[in-house]
Amino acid sequence: MKKMLVMGVSLFIIAAFFGVMALNLTFGSPTMTDMDDYFLRHGQEQTGSNNECTAVVFDFRGFDTLGESTVLFCGIIGVALMFRKMQGGEEYEDE
Amino acid sequence: MIEQVPQILVLIGLIISAVLTFHFKDLLAAILAAGLFSFLISLEFYILQAPDVAISQAAIGAGLTTAIFIIAIRATGRFEGESS
Amino acid sequence: MRMSRIVRTAADILYPAILIFGLYIVAHGHLTPGGGFQGGAVIATGGALVIVAYNYKEVTGWLKKNVLTGQEVTGLVGFIGVGLLALAFGQGFFFNYLVGSGSIFGIPVPYGINAGELNTAGTVPLMNFAVGIEVWGGLTVVILYMLSGLEKEGC
Repeated sequence: MKKMLVMGVSLFIIAAFFGVMALNLTFGSPTMTDMDDYFLRHGQEQTGSNNECTAVVFDFRGFDTLGESTVLFCGIIGVALMFRKMQGGEEYEDE
Repeated sequence: MIEQVPQILVLIGLIISAVLTFHFKDLLAAILAAGLFSFLISLEFYILQAPDVAISQAAIGAGLTTAIFIIAIRATGRFEGESS
Repeated sequence: MRMSRIVRTAADILYPAILIFGLYIVAHGHLTPGGGFQGGAVIATGGALVIVAYNYKEVTGWLKKNVLTGQEVTGLVGFIGVGLLALAFGQGFFFNYLVGSGSIFGIPVPYGINAGELNTAGTVPLMNFAVGIEVWGGLTVVILYMLSGLEKEGC
């Protein structure tokens, strides 16, 4: 019972903390907008793509997409290495 | 105010599905609740006008992750503490 | 363990539709919401549907692991190659050298709201296709590899 009370009070404190912080936010109007304004104003003529998201992801932030593709590739290589032994019927060698 | 009604419903469904994912002892049911969570959060992304993220969340979170978890359950055990 | 005839027929009908929808998302990545990653994930979902509906041995007859792994490698190498090709034009890595050049994907775009033309945006559609092919092969081959481990265990 005491444990439940402590948990409820701590949950209430955390919820109040995040709630007060969320109510103070100005949603949809960020404070520092220099980069956003540049992308929105020049993205269409510099990359020629109407979709601004793709323009940022594949052109302005191309290195980010390169890293994402590499991370996906490495994860799939890991899965393939993990299940390769079972497929060929080989056994793990004990030392 | 009337346009916030579907958003509030989706958020209530998110909380309910998250609690169900935590609560179930049957892992298959827990995985289906997690898939419901992914579907609802993709709906929430769509309401917040981010269709890119909604497409990838619906494809990966609700489709592929559920399939991979179900394959993992078939290889191990269906209930907690059971080893096939 | 294959599923019933209803599920198999539905998967047969739905798989080309999902394939075409995913390729549409990849090809129109620079005009409508979506892109390479999202389209590849949608196609991989269609592959997961076929894998679930059929037996593992039946699926591997025409959904080969070597082809999918080759798609993954081809996508990543093509993505880096399109980026490296900018060095041949005397620009930096990942420079968009095709935009506004008048050749393929090179029609200039006016500022503001316009109807959208598929033949624009320079290297962005090429990179979209590369990433789409990579994600298609990669996410499908993950499920195939996990299912192969399951078949070997015999459960």
